[in-house]
Amino acid sequence: MATHHEITESLKAFQEGYNNNKKLKIMNRDWNRIILIEATDVDSKHTIILQDGEISITEGISKTPNLVVTSDSETLADLFYGDITPTEPYMNGTLVLKGSEDDIVRLDFISLMIWGE
Amino acid sequence: MELKKVLTLRTVVATSAGLTLSSSTFVAAVQVAGFLAGESAWLAILTGGLLCITAAFCFNELNGMMPTAAGIRLYFSRAFNDRLALIVSLLYMAVIIGVIGAESYVLSEILHEAFPVLPSMFWIMAMFTLVTGMNLIGIKIAGGFQDAITYGLIVSLIVLALVALNQINFHINAPFNTGGGLNFLNAVAVGVFLFVGFEWVTPLAEEVTHSRLISRGMLLAIGILSVTYALFTVAMTATVPKDVLVNSPIPHLIFARTILGNSGVAIMVLITLAASITTFNAGLISVSRFVYASARENVLPAMFSKISMRFFTPWVAIISVFITGVIVSSIVLITKRYLTLVNMAAAMESIIYVLAGVSVITLRKKLPGMQRPYQIPGGYWIPGICAAVFSLLTLAIFFSFPSVFIYLCIGAFISVIYVNQVVPELKRRSRAKKSANRRRRPVAQAEKAGE
Repeated sequence: MATHHEITESLKAFQEGYNNNKKLKIMNRDWNRIILIEATDVDSKHTIILQDGEISITEGISKTPNLVVTSDSETLADLFYGDITPTEPYMNGTLVLKGSEDDIVRLDFISLMIWGE
Repeated sequence: MELKKVLTLRTVVATSAGLTLSSSTFVAAVQVAGFLAGESAWLAILTGGLLCITAAFCFNELNGMMPTAAGIRLYFSRAFNDRLALIVSLLYMAVIIGVIGAESYVLSEILHEAFPVLPSMFWIMAMFTLVTGMNLIGIKIAGGFQDAITYGLIVSLIVLALVALNQINFHINAPFNTGGGLNFLNAVAVGVFLFVGFEWVTPLAEEVTHSRLISRGMLLAIGILSVTYALFTVAMTATVPKDVLVNSPIPHLIFARTILGNSGVAIMVLITLAASITTFNAGLISVSRFVYASARENVLPAMFSKISMRFFTPWVAIISVFITGVIVSSIVLITKRYLTLVNMAAAMESIIYVLAGVSVITLRKKLPGMQRPYQIPGGYWIPGICAAVFSLLTLAIFFSFPSVFIYLCIGAFISVIYVNQVVPELKRRSRAKKSANRRRRPVAQAEKAGE
């Protein structure tokens, strides 16, 4: 089981990877979304805000999300560190993504562009 | 916390019905009529629709438990095992590519008939290039436009049917003369093709304003489609001799020309284009996303997960589907065996519905405590009927069209070999690569251990 702190650190790594990718920022200029990251086995909630291509991460819930990412803490930490792809846990039901299909696919694209295959 | 939700019942119905309405459904509709002796095509179509409602109930329960765009892949994985789910999904996607091939062939024949100067192959290439271009750039048919196309299409088909029936002062003489039970069974089995894809609307579950809208929308879509197809098929067979329709890939154009002359041709070309564009586009998007997701999951080689840096679209997957689609369409154009693909799709869809029914039953036993926002009333009756009836319909198709059985067996065999031999190797390589580049540092693990 990962801790809340570990999930926070993984999200920081994700944010750093995003910020280091200029193309990604340009491509997401018009994709303004609020993404809630929620662990099922520990009390851990984070909000990713994508606004005009910039990413920010806050602890807890701040606004009504467009996309909700729910999974156990281990999967979330591995996922945002880029150690696993979101697709495998998504296909076996460990990772639950609630939102439009297009947004789900876009989030996977972002993960791919930050961490590679 | 609730999500921001935007889609209404109108769009859910339009999406479900729009994905189903295509040019090749007219071909399937006259095949249904061809099996029957009298004017009872309507009965077979309505029965097919009614049976599909049992499948819709099953998808509603499964989707309520696991609202996911992964659809059957996840449902069957939970109910049976991941291997079976993958084998079925791969086979299903291959059949959908076949449907796209049949669809493009029918549409190209229509356009070639309307503009004889240009060969069918030109139209196939033009359509694939157009839709592939749209997918590469990331252009999607917007909800409002989809609504307008689908409802416009349904109204046009009903009006055309009523005009035809009025023109010949139609009186139904043998509404229940099916020509025998086996004929009726075959007609219903092929009639399942008319509803292929209605359940593809389930990924919208998280975008609707109310969770019940998906189930209501699917049921309404099947109801509207059943009535529209039944009316249109009766009008076609009442106006044009059945043997002329059954032996043509463009029965709806022949029908339109018979009742309205050249203006009928123009109207039908527009109707066919509208019917095809949504199905064609949705089919290509679904298959290319499946290819992309499979590559991300290490079920297909990683090259298929490459995305365009400019448009944020999985370009290798899209181009691969384009190439495969053009090859399939060209084979159909040369062999003219479009009906085999239609029947394969009907059989495959029936198999999916059988598995959906069995999944509902299995999951109720396996995971009794899992939340079910929607549970089919009547215990095991409806999923049981769904599984039993669609098993019978699948056998009916195999019995009437042995080549469909052979092709599906070959496809299943290849899929089994691939899943058992190639996939484990792809996954092993990916795991080795990932563990060498693991980013989640031992520091975090050490912190956790209090060191």
